[in-house]
Amino acid sequence: MENDGKRSCLQPPHEVFWFLLQRLKAAVHYTVGCLCEEVASDKEVQLSRQTIAAISEVTFRQCESFAKDLEMFARHAKRSTINTEDVKLLARRSNSLLKYITEKSEEFNVERKTKKKKKLEDENKDSLEPAEAGGVGSEN
Amino acid sequence: MADGDISDNEPTTRTLLRRVLDTEAPRTPRRRQSTRAGVQRTPLGTPFSMRLRSQTKTTAGRQPHRARSIGRLAHIQTRGQLKEQTPRTLLENILLTAPESSMVMPESAVKPVPAPQVVQVVQFSRRESSPGSLELQLPELNAPTTLAPGRLTSGRRKKRLRLSEFQQGMDQELPLSQGPVTEPPGNTGASSLSSSLNLTFATPLLPQSVQRPGLARRPPTRRAVDVGIFLQDLQDTSVATAFPGDRTPVATLPTDTVLEDTQPFSQPLIGRSPSVHHSLPYPSLSAERTVSRRTRSSGPGLQNNSPGKPAQLLAGKAEEVDALAMRFPNTSSGTSGVDGLEPLLGGVGEEVEERMEESMSLSEVKEATGAQASARAEEPEAHTEVAEAEGSWGAIEEKELEGSSGDKDTEGRTARPELASSTPEFPRARQLEFLEPAPPTSTAVLRQDPYKMGLSHYAKLFSFYAKMPMEKKALEMVEKCLDKYFQRLCDDLDVFAAHAGRKTVRLEDLELLMRRQGLVTDRVSLHVLVEQHLPLEYRQLLIPCAFSGNTVFPAQ
Repeated sequence: MENDGKRSCLQPPHEVFWFLLQRLKAAVHYTVGCLCEEVASDKEVQLSRQTIAAISEVTFRQCESFAKDLEMFARHAKRSTINTEDVKLLARRSNSLLKYITEKSEEFNVERKTKKKKKLEDENKDSLEPAEAGGVGSEN
Repeated sequence: MADGDISDNEPTTRTLLRRVLDTEAPRTPRRRQSTRAGVQRTPLGTPFSMRLRSQTKTTAGRQPHRARSIGRLAHIQTRGQLKEQTPRTLLENILLTAPESSMVMPESAVKPVPAPQVVQVVQFSRRESSPGSLELQLPELNAPTTLAPGRLTSGRRKKRLRLSEFQQGMDQELPLSQGPVTEPPGNTGASSLSSSLNLTFATPLLPQSVQRPGLARRPPTRRAVDVGIFLQDLQDTSVATAFPGDRTPVATLPTDTVLEDTQPFSQPLIGRSPSVHHSLPYPSLSAERTVSRRTRSSGPGLQNNSPGKPAQLLAGKAEEVDALAMRFPNTSSGTSGVDGLEPLLGGVGEEVEERMEESMSLSEVKEATGAQASARAEEPEAHTEVAEAEGSWGAIEEKELEGSSGDKDTEGRTARPELASSTPEFPRARQLEFLEPAPPTSTAVLRQDPYKMGLSHYAKLFSFYAKMPMEKKALEMVEKCLDKYFQRLCDDLDVFAAHAGRKTVRLEDLELLMRRQGLVTDRVSLHVLVEQHLPLEYRQLLIPCAFSGNTVFPAQ
């Protein structure tokens, strides 16, 4: 407590940051706990609390590492925004994950394109709507 | 006296001198002076006589001098020691102390000098003849007669004194080195030393165990095997290096430059040129030349000695490896005990630039030649990747090793001719395949073979640093792991370059890889690592340095 008091006196931003960090960790822990319970019920296995705590801690640290890597990748590509390319680069290690992400990103891109087209067409013409609607429907 | 005997025996310098002295004694300038009454002339005469002597020394033969000096011996003995140090007196001293020994006859019994000196001489001659290693039994150069008796006794008792005294004598007798009596100091030194001290000028060989305690624990049989394997590898590499030159005329370019070890900046890696050939049997001249030019950084140390390379690389990288997150003990513990590590290290350091450039040119070439078959495309890609585009320092080491060893290995492979023939045929259509990370499955077999030899060296070093005997299976596993590790590093580099929209691997990609490995942090930058672990030659290539002529190299 004394340390907290000192910290609050000298470095308020760090204190606030630390609290936020704790809250974030708690949120992650809660989410991980929910997921673990799902998996446990699915596989009919029991997971101890220490296990869940360990998993949540690992998840949190991994997220930190991911964030740093993503930032590095974006900077490497001379961008200031993290892109789906950066995410794909991050996930390249595991093939299945990479596949999944690529598929999802493709779907997302297609959706965006169709939405853009829709907007343009809405602005310009109305004749193309049924075709796009059909296309969107087939994709969905 | 011994004169009679000497006349019968082969004429030595001493005998000849004696004869001359006996016959020419009355002609000595000294005697002329003494006959003259003028005292004033003596100071003049002595320098004049000395000059005469020096002149006669140079012009006339040495023997007359010796004869005179011998003739003087009697005078000296009668008059006692001469105070002035004239060449004559020095010669006399030599003759007094030097033993009677001829070139041909190792042991000469006759001594012209009186008894005490004879004894000395005999002893000296005995010592000279004892080692028997010298072909020439020349009279030893000893200190002036004043020291001779003392030295003789000291020589018997303490050999160290003899050495110092000999050195003193050497210093005094250096001006007399013209005469045949005086040998080159080294020989006399050797003779005296060998006779008295049984010393050799060869440096004592430290036991290997002192420098490498790890080796001492190993059973000797292992060592023998390793040496044999190493020699075999050397032969293979030499064969392999010879091979690429036969293939294409362009190949001779890098091979020639590699042979010049003295130029630190002009060494394309021989291992690389064949690896280039892997992908490009008929590469565009420009591409290959760029590659060869850029491989210079691999440096003088990077020769085709693949056996030396891994050791060198590992050794050079001792510290780097420690810093590296590599788990393999060979990389982590690479000691600098291996010679030539540093040039390799320099090569490693150079790799950053080289590799970037090389991989750039290579990747371009790769794309230019196109991916013939996916397997083939991947193989050259893998080769080039492995050979050149390495992210980490350790990877770089391995790569060079693999490149060099791969070259020799691939030489014997049939895959190579296939590649060679097929690469130019296929179009560029498959450039994209190169950009994507190469799946390891298809080319696993092909990829292993060329670099197996290179990895085996790393495995050997690994086993060395393990300080325990290792199973062959364990070594094989280590090799597999190393292979996969380096493959991954190369793939990462490739992907990073592609991510930045580039076709060539550059320094930034390498830095990114090292950052991911945890070697480069916010506190420790790449330059710091370069400065810490690379020798100056390679550091100069990486970190911009100001040179003479207001130039900065490498250009920023």
